[in-house]
Amino acid sequence: MVRFILRRLLYMTPILFGVSVVIFLILHLVPGDPARLVAGLDATQEDVKIIRSSLGLDRPLPVQYISWLGNVLRGDLGRSTRTRRPVTQELRLTFPATVELTLCATAIAVLIGVVAGTTAAVRRNSIFDYSSMVVALLGVCTPSFWLGLMLMLVFAVKFDLFPTTGRGGLENLVLPAVTLGAGAAAIIARVTRSSMLEVLGMDYIRTAHAKGLSERAVVLRHAVKNALIPVITVIGLEFGYLLAGAVVTETVFAYPGVGWLLVEAIGFRDYPVIQGALLLLALQFAVVNLVVDVLYAFADPRISYG
Amino acid sequence: MKPLKCLGLLLLGWLLVALGVSSPALAGERVITIAQYADAVSLDPQHTNDNASYSIEKPMLEGLIGFNEKMEQIPQLAEKWDASPDARVYTFYLRKGVKFHDGTPFNAAAVKANFDRVRNPENKLRRYTLYKVISQIDVLDEYTVRFTLSEPFGAMIATFAHPAGGINSPTAVQKYGKDYEKNPVGTGPYKFAEWVPNDHITLVKNPDYWDKANEAKVDKIIIKPVPEEGTRIAMLQKGDAQFINFVPYIQAEAVKADRNLSLASTEAIYTFWVAMNVQKKPFNDLRVRQALNYAIDKDAVIKAVLRGQGKPADSPLAPRVWGYTPVKTYPYDPAKAKALLAEAGYPNGFKAVVRGNNQTDTKDALVAIQGQLKQVGVDLEVLSLPAAALSAERFKPLEENKAEMEFAGWSPSTGDADWGIRPLLTKENWPPTNFTIGFYTNPKVEEAIKAALQTADPAKRKAAYAEAQRVIMDDCPWIFLWVNNLLGGSRANVGGISLQPDAIGFYRSVYYK
Repeated sequence: MVRFILRRLLYMTPILFGVSVVIFLILHLVPGDPARLVAGLDATQEDVKIIRSSLGLDRPLPVQYISWLGNVLRGDLGRSTRTRRPVTQELRLTFPATVELTLCATAIAVLIGVVAGTTAAVRRNSIFDYSSMVVALLGVCTPSFWLGLMLMLVFAVKFDLFPTTGRGGLENLVLPAVTLGAGAAAIIARVTRSSMLEVLGMDYIRTAHAKGLSERAVVLRHAVKNALIPVITVIGLEFGYLLAGAVVTETVFAYPGVGWLLVEAIGFRDYPVIQGALLLLALQFAVVNLVVDVLYAFADPRISYG
Repeated sequence: MKPLKCLGLLLLGWLLVALGVSSPALAGERVITIAQYADAVSLDPQHTNDNASYSIEKPMLEGLIGFNEKMEQIPQLAEKWDASPDARVYTFYLRKGVKFHDGTPFNAAAVKANFDRVRNPENKLRRYTLYKVISQIDVLDEYTVRFTLSEPFGAMIATFAHPAGGINSPTAVQKYGKDYEKNPVGTGPYKFAEWVPNDHITLVKNPDYWDKANEAKVDKIIIKPVPEEGTRIAMLQKGDAQFINFVPYIQAEAVKADRNLSLASTEAIYTFWVAMNVQKKPFNDLRVRQALNYAIDKDAVIKAVLRGQGKPADSPLAPRVWGYTPVKTYPYDPAKAKALLAEAGYPNGFKAVVRGNNQTDTKDALVAIQGQLKQVGVDLEVLSLPAAALSAERFKPLEENKAEMEFAGWSPSTGDADWGIRPLLTKENWPPTNFTIGFYTNPKVEEAIKAALQTADPAKRKAAYAEAQRVIMDDCPWIFLWVNNLLGGSRANVGGISLQPDAIGFYRSVYYK
């Protein structure tokens, strides 16, 4: 297992290198001049020139890439072209906030998704099954900026239960986490349901029933665990998407995370910040995938990575 | 089920804790929270070029000359000033007994240190070009300082009043070096306390402010960046914010109708227009440009897009810009427009592309303009681009520039006619240099501008700019659209806070009723 993990960590290096090249190229191919954007609309050509050279953007592309890569290897992601804050500092401020939000959202999504999906499968074709799957469909389809604003208007403005925006205590996390987790909950519910249905139709479940186990024991001890493999896969993927997808939710709730940082950086073609943030997101995606693979082995002892 | 149960209990626990704990505020402390559309980029006025940052700097940093909320120049750290008739030498007589927040005395040496810093190209400050015309600064005595310019520049007083002219403590600039922009120290009624990026900036009352009549009336101002418009409104409705900068037009009526809220509407110094590329067919024909001006019902567009919060532009400058002269508007007359087009050889109209940014207001405006020009046979293709891509396109030189019609708005940040005309309508400011994005030039305009810059005499300057405005209005290089109002929103129990005509927040005199 340890060797497996080490090997996978090693594989990440070429992946991240590839990602860095792609990010760099795409960024520089997209129209938009960071120097002009930093200088402002009413800046003269002279201002723009000064800023361009101070940002090092007047050097040839390969030179810029290699000097950036060299710095990254030394742990220096450069400075934001806009705020001049070090990118590592920007990420250190925002990444924990996003992870916090995403973990909360994932917890909510898993809780709702697995419970609803399992119940729907066990009571197949019941009112609960139909209604929860309709709600799940709505959950997948609802744009998060709309959901976020609606939750805010109802639970923060109307009923005064939560603050509208910002980061602080747990009370600040509830609305954004629900907003962010809603789509994932819906997907997890649907996957859990279909996976459970498949398992519930298996021979060993019939055997379990036959030997007189209670319905509860059959479902919770025998069925759920076996139905979990596809669910874990989905949760892993969703967690990755949630981290990246926090963009909209963070903007709506003015929650100071990586997503918001990234949106602003893109608007201003703040290359160092975009590159740093995307690299970090790629890294965490790879790590989450690895964690998911390891979790498989726990959920199903037949899987091993000897 | 066990782990799930645990998780459920945990969440429930969180919720209870969350409901029990409310945000801590010291008893009796008067705090104003402002939700602003963006975070500051820098808090060093000499390195700032965005309104979000200036809005936060203003209560802390004062200039030699300031603006009141109507953007009229008022003496701030200078008690009075005079200019030589040739607009090359400016002398300021400074206020005595003023101290920076860090205790450094404010005097002529501090003023000299400030402007020496910004005009030095090696410091690479964003406002370098604004002050590079200064060639020498002399400290005449403790409280008198003289600026000599390398060439006559009639708009220099307005340039000192520009928010970039905020005076920083030279001690703090020395102490913090490159990080000064995160630790501003000025002389204003509020002091800098804390900046958590993308979360909040806190200003606290300066108990030693020099002007007792205008001192801080609350203990703390907290400014939070909130980019989403709907969220800002929700914060205001709930009372999580006492003021929001800004209110979208579409929400204006809702805010007005709410008894707990009030709408702070300010006539802006912005004009909005569509620049036509006058170097290109068919826009090189005056009759075509006139026709397009007659073809648009400005009042209808203002009603639809701005919900009535604006008025038709009757000059390239807005009324509150210093040097503005009302010239004329082109009344809505589609029949006349059609006749002019026919006369110019386009009886069936033509096709063109109009470009603008991808903000909602702009898109709405472009669609309205498209619909109205269709009535006279002009078929517009609307191209909405993100700001970065749009500016990349616009700043291409004439040979590579695809501009046909360009929708834009502009406010001169000095509040002076010079910066409202020169960057937009002169040959030396064609892209890539600056924002003359329709490649307009007229010797009469260039001469008038030059004459205005050669003198510091307000009457002579005004007359020269009036001439420039008349010529431009006759030439119509733009479709002249409107001057808008800027909307802020506040809780009904809060006063003294609004948006300045240049879209910078005016926060310093905020109070609880």
